[in-house]
Amino acid sequence: MGCFFIFLDFSTLTYDTLRFGEFEDFPETSEPVWILGKQFNALTEKEDILSDITSRLWFTYRKNFQPIGGTGPTSDNGWGCMLRCGQMILAEALIRRHLTRDWRWLRGERQKEGYISILHAFIDKKDSYYSIHQIAQMGVGEGKSIGQWYGPNTVAQVLKKLAVFDTWSRLAVHVAMDNTVVIEEIKRLCMPWLDFERGACASQEVNGCLEGACALVEEDPVLWKPLVLLIPLRLGLSDINEAYIETLKQCFMMPQSLGVIGGKPNSAHYFIGFVGQELIYLDPHTTQSAVEPCENGQVQDDSYHCQHPPCRMHICELDPSIAAGFFCLTEDDFDDWCVHVRKLSSCRGLPMFELVDSQPSHLINTEVLNLTPDFSDSDRLERFFDSEDEEFEILSL
Amino acid sequence: MAPFEKPKHPKPFKQRKSFALRKQEVAGIRTKFPTKVPVIIERYHREKYLPPLDKTKFLVPQELTMTQFVTIIRNRMTLMPSQAFYLLIDNTGIASMSLTLAQVYSDHKDEDGFLYMTYASQEMFGLRENATEFSLR
Repeated sequence: MGCFFIFLDFSTLTYDTLRFGEFEDFPETSEPVWILGKQFNALTEKEDILSDITSRLWFTYRKNFQPIGGTGPTSDNGWGCMLRCGQMILAEALIRRHLTRDWRWLRGERQKEGYISILHAFIDKKDSYYSIHQIAQMGVGEGKSIGQWYGPNTVAQVLKKLAVFDTWSRLAVHVAMDNTVVIEEIKRLCMPWLDFERGACASQEVNGCLEGACALVEEDPVLWKPLVLLIPLRLGLSDINEAYIETLKQCFMMPQSLGVIGGKPNSAHYFIGFVGQELIYLDPHTTQSAVEPCENGQVQDDSYHCQHPPCRMHICELDPSIAAGFFCLTEDDFDDWCVHVRKLSSCRGLPMFELVDSQPSHLINTEVLNLTPDFSDSDRLERFFDSEDEEFEILSL
Repeated sequence: MAPFEKPKHPKPFKQRKSFALRKQEVAGIRTKFPTKVPVIIERYHREKYLPPLDKTKFLVPQELTMTQFVTIIRNRMTLMPSQAFYLLIDNTGIASMSLTLAQVYSDHKDEDGFLYMTYASQEMFGLRENATEFSLR
């Protein structure tokens, strides 16, 4: 079970009052605990587990921030939960990019530069790279007016657009559509100079394998733009198909894991790991006041770290609409991720997505695929089914 | 034919026709078009973002891959490449995109001989409006 809430008064039943409940302590279990690619023992490493979770950046609903777009909302209460989850998964990528997976937040400690810069990227102001203001306004291009609900794919698409302006992190954000990850697409994105070096690269190709082939490009000091890979998925219609559960767990076990954004119906959560059949998550459904950074750049950051035991829920309660995230700092990290995924698809459970070397060539020419009904066929069909009210549409190549 | 209006939320195909009728229909069409797969594509009943398709029954070349097939449907709906679209086979999972329709058909065809697919985008997340109304009562 996850969070326990105390129902104070029926007439004031909102998420805000619900949050001040009691949080169940982390379970004493011999089952392994997996958090963002790291394994823990709940019996002997409880402190480590809690300190690791507290170190994640926790973004929640906020109130009293600058109006979005000058005249818009000053709070995201009730609509911003998926946007906040998007912020959390990207913040995790920035922690990997500028700090490390093992970096720890210590309460009250003097904040170092990299950490302060990450925090500033998410402060609720119009100019921060990934503020609620930026995400809500960029969503307009995805057909979402300010204040509308987002899905995992919506926020992934918006983060991809916003990352272009983050010249500090220089991330390559890729959103893999149609549950397919195309290796060639990602290599091009993370090594955009590859096309110009094509001639040189070809001679370095080993065993005709694209993975790792172009690691020796000398022109650019940066060999690989750090990759944030987001894979929006639908693991069932109304409920998650249980055949996916094992593969979903495997995602949290890969060292490249950034967790999963998704939720229960209507409530978005940022899932960071699992223990047994329970998912561990950070919950944005708490409204805190917006924080104004100090003049020296330091930020009162207590409210940006979840300091109570994390929420948990049974994996079967997960809404099927999710996006899984991965971070690959180097090309080797990505190649390693590919190996993990290929191993995964040969073990039990249904694969959640497919990994392919290159985009099938027929997709380059989409006109070929605008198949129209074949008239000679439909003549035959009409004779065959002239008494039917519903006809087949016949597709021909 | 009588010009009666189509219902806004038509019953699923399986409920519109008896099993015997569906089975008979597949048998007939398979004899006529042995290299094409009979597919039923329906919109998830709770889908709010993707448009309905004007057809339910498709005869698809068996050598077509799922990627190609999804591209056709995406084009039909004039979706942006960044829009979420999932085709779930037999109401459960997404088929591997590199499989051909023939492979998917042999693995997932229904007892009546049709291959059933449901399409959906993604759910959106936010606090339900009636929760606020609730607190006002």
